[in-house]
Amino acid sequence: MRRLLAAIVLTGASLHAQWFDIKTPGIPRTADGKPDLAAPAPKTPDGKPDLSGTWDADRSYLVNIAKDLKEVPMRPAALELFNQRKDGGRAKEEPDANCLPQGVPKIDAAPVPWKLIQGPREVMILYEAFTLFREIFTDGRELPKDPNPTWLGYSVGHWDGDALVVESNGFNGKTWLDQSGHPTSDALHVTERFRRKDFGHLELEITIDDPKMYTQPWTVKESPRLLADTELLEFNCNENERDVRHIP
Amino acid sequence: MRTNAMSDIFHRRPRTNAFVALLAFALAAPLSAQWIKYPTFGIPRTPDGKPDLTAPAPKLPDGKPDLSGLWHQSNGVKYTVNLAADLKPTDVPYQPATEALYKQHQDSISKDDPVGYCNFPGIPQMEAVPYPYKFMNAPGMIVILYEAFHTYRQIFMDGRELPKDPNPTWMGYSVGRWDGDTLVVDSAGFNDKSWLDSGGRPHSEALHVTERFTRRDFGHMNLQITIDDPKAYTKPWTVSYGITLMPDTEMIEYVCNENNKDTPHLVGK
Repeated sequence: MRRLLAAIVLTGASLHAQWFDIKTPGIPRTADGKPDLAAPAPKTPDGKPDLSGTWDADRSYLVNIAKDLKEVPMRPAALELFNQRKDGGRAKEEPDANCLPQGVPKIDAAPVPWKLIQGPREVMILYEAFTLFREIFTDGRELPKDPNPTWLGYSVGHWDGDALVVESNGFNGKTWLDQSGHPTSDALHVTERFRRKDFGHLELEITIDDPKMYTQPWTVKESPRLLADTELLEFNCNENERDVRHIP
Repeated sequence: MRTNAMSDIFHRRPRTNAFVALLAFALAAPLSAQWIKYPTFGIPRTPDGKPDLTAPAPKLPDGKPDLSGLWHQSNGVKYTVNLAADLKPTDVPYQPATEALYKQHQDSISKDDPVGYCNFPGIPQMEAVPYPYKFMNAPGMIVILYEAFHTYRQIFMDGRELPKDPNPTWMGYSVGRWDGDTLVVDSAGFNDKSWLDSGGRPHSEALHVTERFTRRDFGHMNLQITIDDPKAYTKPWTVSYGITLMPDTEMIEYVCNENNKDTPHLVGK
C-alpha cells in the first residue's frame, strides 16, 4: 500500500510540469530575467501584505499532515479510524479517490498549485485540484453559528500583523486530513495562518481543532512556494478517472 | 439540500417529457430562495432597505463598468435545455452531421449528457444554468466563481491573446476586453465533449464563443452569446438573454459527485 501512496504522489508530481508558459506580470526579476523569489513580499495599496499569487502546494504533507509531529492527540475513536486507514486498507473510501473534494486543509497540500487572489472584502483561492474554489470573507463577518455542513467549509479571515488568519468551520466530518486518514468530525475548526515571508515563499501554519476527534488542538507548518510564469490547468476529476479501480 | 441536484435539472427536454420538465422547474424554483442571508456590501437601497436594482450600474475607479456581484440567469432552465430557445429552429445553421447528432441526443432524451456524469457543463452553458455565479475583479483579470460544480473561470484582461494551440478543455481559455461599456469575452480551447445545452446541441474543438456582458443598471445585465464553430455550424449564430443580480445572499457548496441521483435515470427511451 505504501507503494500505491507513492504512486499517487508521483502521478501528482508530473502535473508540476505545467505547459503554460506565460510571464506572470508584476514579478520582480533578476538581471537574467528569472523571477527573484527572494525579493521582499509585496503590499496592497492599503499597506497590507499581498498574498496574491500562484502557490505550489507543499505536497510533502499530503501523505501525512502530521509528519513533523511526534504525536497527534487522537481520541480513541479517531485512533481506531486512523489505524484502519493508515495502511491503505480503507483507501477506497478516501473522498478524493472518489472525486469528492479534498476538504480543508488537505487541499492546501494537493500535488497541484492554487492561486490566491486577495480582494478588498474577500480572498479567493482557486485550486487546480478538481478546479474548486474557496471564498474567504475578510469583511468582518463572523463564522456562521449553525453552518451548512460542507466539504470545504465556511471561511472568514482577518489580519494579525502581517499574517492573514483564516478561520473555517461548517465541515461535514467526511474529509480526511491527509492520505494516511487522520479523521475529522463535523466539529472541525481549522485555523490557517498565511504569512508571506518574501516574494516567493509562504508560511502556512495550520491548527486542527476538532474536540470530537482530538483531545486538544494541534498545529503543523507547511511552506508553499510561488510558481512563476505559468497558469493553472483544468482538472476534471470525473474525466477518465483511473484511480479508484486500482485501490484494493 | 441542493448540493448536487444540477443534473436533475439539466438534461430533460420539455417537448418530449413534460413531467420531467415540470419537475425540473420545481427543483429550480427554490434556488432563488437561498438560505445564506447576508447583506451584500455596496448595494444601493430604497428607503425601506430593499436593494434598488434599477439604480445606475456602478463603475470601477478607472471608469470601466464594475460587473462584480452575484448573478443568475433568471429564466429557470429555459436556456439550459435550449440555448436557441428564442430562435426559430431553422435559424440554427447546423452542418448536416451536427444536426444528425443533435437529433440523436434529442431522440435519446439526452442520456449521454456529460453533465449527468458530473463533467463541467462548459461555456456557454455555465452561464445558463439555474445556479448563481459571482463576478469578481482581480488584477489583470475577471474571475467568475460558479456555484454549479463549485468551479471557476479566469478571464484574462491583461491583453494577452488566445493561445494558438490550446489544450482542449471543458471550460476553455478566456480573454476579455472592453468595447465601450460592454465586456467582450472570447473563448477557445474547448474539447468537443461538452454540449452547448442540455438538449444536446453539439460543438467541435473549433468552437469559438464570444460573450458580450453589458450591465444595464445595478441589477440587470445583458448577455449576448455568439457561437462560431465552422466544423459544426455553417455560420456564426447569436442568442441573448438577461441575467439578474442576486442580492443579500452567498453561494452554497455544490458537489456533483456527492449523492448524484441522476445517472440511473439517464436511460434514454
